[in-house]
Amino acid sequence: MARAKRRPRAEAAPAAAAAPGEAAARRAETVCLGRIVGAHGVRGVVRIKSHTANPDDLTAYGALSDEAGTRRLTVTVTGHVKGLVLARVEGVDDRDAAEALRGTDLFVPRAALPPTEGEEYYHVDLLGLRAESEDGTALGRVSAVHDHGAGPIVEIQPPDGPSTLVPFTREHVPAIDIEAGRMVVASPEDGT
Amino acid sequence: MARSVWKGPFVDGYLLKKAEEARATGRKDIIRTWSRRSTILPQFVGLTFGVYNGRKFLPVLVNENMVGHKFGEFSPTRVFHGHAGDKRARRG
Repeated sequence: MARAKRRPRAEAAPAAAAAPGEAAARRAETVCLGRIVGAHGVRGVVRIKSHTANPDDLTAYGALSDEAGTRRLTVTVTGHVKGLVLARVEGVDDRDAAEALRGTDLFVPRAALPPTEGEEYYHVDLLGLRAESEDGTALGRVSAVHDHGAGPIVEIQPPDGPSTLVPFTREHVPAIDIEAGRMVVASPEDGT
Repeated sequence: MARSVWKGPFVDGYLLKKAEEARATGRKDIIRTWSRRSTILPQFVGLTFGVYNGRKFLPVLVNENMVGHKFGEFSPTRVFHGHAGDKRARRG
């Protein structure tokens, strides 16, 4: 049996780092916490795919807005179903209105996230950083941060060629400057 | 059925040799391996292995909690692109 070709999934954050213009600027100031994926029932409840570490933290950082930032959505979590969060959106009382919100990404301002402690970094801050070797040679940009249970791994995408995986340790990533948008990587060739 | 205790944990000989060399020399290079089936031993703690997932060598920094597990458990073979959201990474 022939396998169906998979549609490539769009990575929200890496795309945000590369997108030009006003939309990119806005994305850098906001963080996508979830997406409305459909309606649930007939009373205006929506199903949301949460991108937060704890799905219930979707509403923990204040009011949510859509991608353009024009519509403010007051969301109240009411339950869970099949890995999704069920929620009520203020002003949405029937299924048609809930269906109309399908595909809406939910954003909060980056400033709404609490400050991190010590050696902790938000993935959104790391994504898009310029990776440089210790002698200042450009290596590419941080395209993803993975964690498969053995510590975080930073994926660095050079302008051409395959990406490089580097353990997110002091030894392999000795310096990070979020303000300057750069990260120093020691011996990246080891991690491929 | 579980593996007999008298046999001890399974580790590919060449991997054990590489790890012992790395410990003896004190080098912190990533040790590349294809041996996903090898058990993580206590003497591997602190070393970084590059475990092949069929496409790439994923860095695996071994800590105490990973002892007894297999290397393959930490190097998934399926692609999953998540979203950043509010997730945090701690630099080790």
